[in-house]
Amino acid sequence: MIEAMELTKVFNEFIAVRNLSFQVNPGEIYGLLGPNGSGKTTTMRMLLGLLQPTAGSARISGHDIREEIVAAKRVMGYVPEEPVLPERLTGWEYIHYISDIWRVPRSPEREDDIQELMNLLDISDASDDLIETYSKGMSRKISLVAALIHKPTVLILDELQAGIDPRGAATMKEILNGLRERGATILMSTHILEIAERMCDRIGIIDEGELIAEGTMEELRTKAKGQSSLEEIFLSLTGGPDMQLIAQYLGESA
Amino acid sequence: MLLLLREDLTRSFRLRNAKGKRTEKRGLLKRVSNFAIPVIVSGALLWGVLAIAPMFWDLIESYISENLGMGAAIFNAVLLISFIGSIMISATTVGNSSKMEYLLITPIKMRTIFLEKTIIIIFYNSLIWMMIGVPLFLGLSIVSPFAFALLSVPAFIVTLLILITIGVSAGGLVGLGVARAVAGRRALKQIGTAIMSAVAIIGTTLWYVSFYTNSWNDGPNPFDALFDLADSLGFTSILTPGYTVSSVSLGLLIGAPWRWQDLLSVSLFLVLGVGMVLLNSYVSEMAHYSGWLASDATRTSKEAIRKEHGTWNPRSFPGLKLSNIVTASMWFTITSVRRDARVITNYLLGPIRFAIWLILPGLAFGAELGGITSYFILAALIPFATSYGLYFAGYELVYEGKNIMNLQLAATNLEEYVRGKVYSAVPFAIIASIIVSLIVLFISPLMWVYLPAVLVACAFLCMASGGIAANEAAKGGDFKADRSITRQRGASVRTPLRGWSSIRASLVPYAIGYAGVFGMILAGVFFGVLYTYAILPVFVLFCWRLTTHYTRKAGLKLAQIDATKYL
Ligand SMILES: Nc1ncnc2c1ncn2[C@@H]1O[C@H](COP(=O)(O)OP(=O)(O)OP(=O)(O)O)[C@@H](O)[C@H]1O
Ligand SMILES: [Mg+2]
Repeated sequence: MIEAMELTKVFNEFIAVRNLSFQVNPGEIYGLLGPNGSGKTTTMRMLLGLLQPTAGSARISGHDIREEIVAAKRVMGYVPEEPVLPERLTGWEYIHYISDIWRVPRSPEREDDIQELMNLLDISDASDDLIETYSKGMSRKISLVAALIHKPTVLILDELQAGIDPRGAATMKEILNGLRERGATILMSTHILEIAERMCDRIGIIDEGELIAEGTMEELRTKAKGQSSLEEIFLSLTGGPDMQLIAQYLGESA
Repeated sequence: MLLLLREDLTRSFRLRNAKGKRTEKRGLLKRVSNFAIPVIVSGALLWGVLAIAPMFWDLIESYISENLGMGAAIFNAVLLISFIGSIMISATTVGNSSKMEYLLITPIKMRTIFLEKTIIIIFYNSLIWMMIGVPLFLGLSIVSPFAFALLSVPAFIVTLLILITIGVSAGGLVGLGVARAVAGRRALKQIGTAIMSAVAIIGTTLWYVSFYTNSWNDGPNPFDALFDLADSLGFTSILTPGYTVSSVSLGLLIGAPWRWQDLLSVSLFLVLGVGMVLLNSYVSEMAHYSGWLASDATRTSKEAIRKEHGTWNPRSFPGLKLSNIVTASMWFTITSVRRDARVITNYLLGPIRFAIWLILPGLAFGAELGGITSYFILAALIPFATSYGLYFAGYELVYEGKNIMNLQLAATNLEEYVRGKVYSAVPFAIIASIIVSLIVLFISPLMWVYLPAVLVACAFLCMASGGIAANEAAKGGDFKADRSITRQRGASVRTPLRGWSSIRASLVPYAIGYAGVFGMILAGVFFGVLYTYAILPVFVLFCWRLTTHYTRKAGLKLAQIDATKYL
C-alpha cells in the first residue's frame, strides 16, 4: 500500500511536485502518466526515500517515509528510469552483489530464483558478459531482476517498458499480473498509453507537478466528456501539439 | 577546433558546479577562488624571488652558468612526469569516446577532436609548472642585469610547452600501443597494462636517474650497467629536451651567448612535438574507428541459451567470518578496481612513484649513508599503507557514484559496506609491506627485529587511513566525478574529494603513520626492541578505534546523501 499525502518537492525555486496526494492499494497497478518533466520520477524518488520531500509525507505499507524509512525500504522494489548498473560487473555478478546488499541469504534457492528470472527475460545467455556490453533493453531487464530478488510487496517501476522487445514486454506484463494477484502494490509510470490502458487498474495524470485527473479508465472517460481513447483524454487534459508552429517550421525548412 | 578548445576551457573552469542546471548561480565565488589560489601562489613566489634574489644574484648567476645540467635534470623530470601521467590518457579518452558521441557526429574530422583533447591535457599538465616557473623566471629576470633577460619568460613558456607536448604525446602513444597489444583480451588487458606501465615508469625513472647519479657518484652503484647502456644509446644530458629548455631559458636569464645549437635543438624538438601530437591524434582516430578498445563479450551467436554458473561465494580473509555485506563490498571494490586497467595501474603504481623518489636518494648515496638507507626505505612504506586506504575506501566510495542509489534503496547498514571497502585495501598494504620488508632485509639484515611490528602496524594504519578517508569521502566527495582523466595534471591519481576533505584524508593518516611507525622504531633504537613491541598494541588499538569510529560515521553519512548529489 502506498499513501502519498500532499507531497511537495521544490528544487531551489522550482516546484517540481506540488501537493501530490494519491493512494495505491494492495493488489492494484496504478499508472502515473504525464508529460516529460511533469514530476513522475521526482515523486517516485521521494516515495523511495532517495529525495527528501520539501513538504508533505507518505506511508509505505503503513510506515511513514520520514520516520521509518528503513522499514519502508524493506518492502519496496524499484526499477529506475535509467538503470544504475556497475558497468564492470557481469549481469550474474551484479544480481548476486545486490542480493548480498539486501541480505538475501546465500542459498541454492537464491541461485535458482536468479537463474529462473534471467531465463524468463531471455538474458541468461548474456549473464557472464560485462554489463557495459548490454543493450538498453537488456539493462532494464537486469534491473528488473535486481528489483525482484528480495521479493518486495511494493513495486515502483519508472518507465519499465521503455525499449523492451514485444516478447519481453509480454513477459513483464504476465509477471506483474501474477504479482498483483498475490497482493503486490504496483506503481508504474509510462509513456506508452496502450500499456497504461491495458495493465493499470487506475491511472493518475500529472502535469507540472500537480495531479490533474485520476481514476479508472471509465472514470477518466466520463471526466473528459466524450473522449474515448486514453490518448485523446491525455492530450485534451495536458494539451496537444501546436499545429500552427509545426506548419511554420515545416514551411521554413522546406 | 578553436571553438572546441574554448568550449572545453570554459567548461572545465566551471566544472565544480556545472552539473545542476538550476544551481549555478551560487558558483561565482567558488569560480573566483579557483583562480585565486594559483594567482596567490604565483604572487607569493614572485614576491619571494624579488625579495631574496638581489642579495644573492652573483651566487645564483654563477651557479646557473655552471650547472645548466641541474636545470636539465629538473626539466627532464617535468618531461618524465607528464609522460608517466599520460600513459593511459589517450587510450582512455578514446575508450570513452562513446561519451563524446555528440561531438564525433559533427562534421569535424575525428582526429581533430582527439587532437583537441590532447591539447587540453597538455594545457592542464603545463598549468602547475607555469604556476611555479613563470613567477620564478619573471622575478629572476627583473633582478637580472642583462638586457634580454625578460625574454627568458616567453622562452620558458614556449620550451616548456614543447617539452610537455612531447611528454604527453609519448605517453599517449605508449598507452595506445599497450591497448592495441592487449585488445580483446580481458585478463591480459588488466595485467598487461599494469606491467607495461610499470616498466615504462621504472625505465624512464632510471633514465632520469642516470643524469645526475653519473656525475657525482663514483662508488659501486646498482645502476651502473644501465647508465653505461643509456650512455651508449646517446642519452647524455646534452641532447635531451630538458637540457634544451634549461639552456635556452636559463641562458637568456644570465646573458649567456647565443648558440646556434640551441635554436637548432628547439626547432628540432618543436617539430618532434608537433609530429608526435599529430601522430597521437591519428592513432586515436584509428583506435576509435576500428574499435580496438571496445569491451569484449563472451557470448557467441551459436551458444545455447542456458548458462551454468558456479555458486556465488566471494572470498574474505582466510580464517575470518565476515557478514555477506562486508564480503560483497570487498569483492565489489576489488573487482571494480581490478577490471579497469587504468585504475589498477594508477592505484598500484601511484605510491610506487612516490616511493621511488623517496628511495632514490638512499640508493644514490648508498655507501655513505649506510644505516640510514633502510630507514628511507621503511619510510616509503607509510605512503603505501595510507594511499591504499585512501584509494580503496575513500576514492572508491566516491566512485560508487550512482551506485549509491542501489545501496540506499536497500534497507541495509551501510557501515558494514564501508567497512568492506576499508578491508579491501588491507591485502594490498600487506603485500607492499612484505616487498619493502624484503628490500630492507637485503640492505640491512639487522633490521629484521622491527619488521614484523612494522608489518602489523602498516596493516592497521591502512585501515585507519581507510576509515578516515571514507568519512571524508562521504562528507566532501564529488559523487558525480567519473574517473575523469582529461583533467589529470600529470598526477598519478586525481582526487575526487573536495577541498579540506581531500587534505584531511591524505595528511591525517600520514601524520599518524609517521608518528606511530617511527615512534615505535625510535623507541626500539633508544631503549631496546622490547619497547617497540610494547608500543605496537597501543598503536594497533588506536588505529582500530579510528577505523571503527570513522566507518560508523561514514556509513551514517552515506545513507543520508541526497540523491541529487549523485544522480
Ligand atoms: N536535481 C534537480 N535539480 C533541479 N531540478 C530538477 C532536478 N531533478 C528534477 N528536476 C526538475 O523537476 C521536474 C520534474 O522532473 P522529473 O524527472 O520528475 O520528470 P518526469 O515526469 O519523470 O519526466 P520524464 O517523463 O521525462 O521522465 C523537471 O522539470 C526537472 O527538470
Ligand atoms: Mg521520469
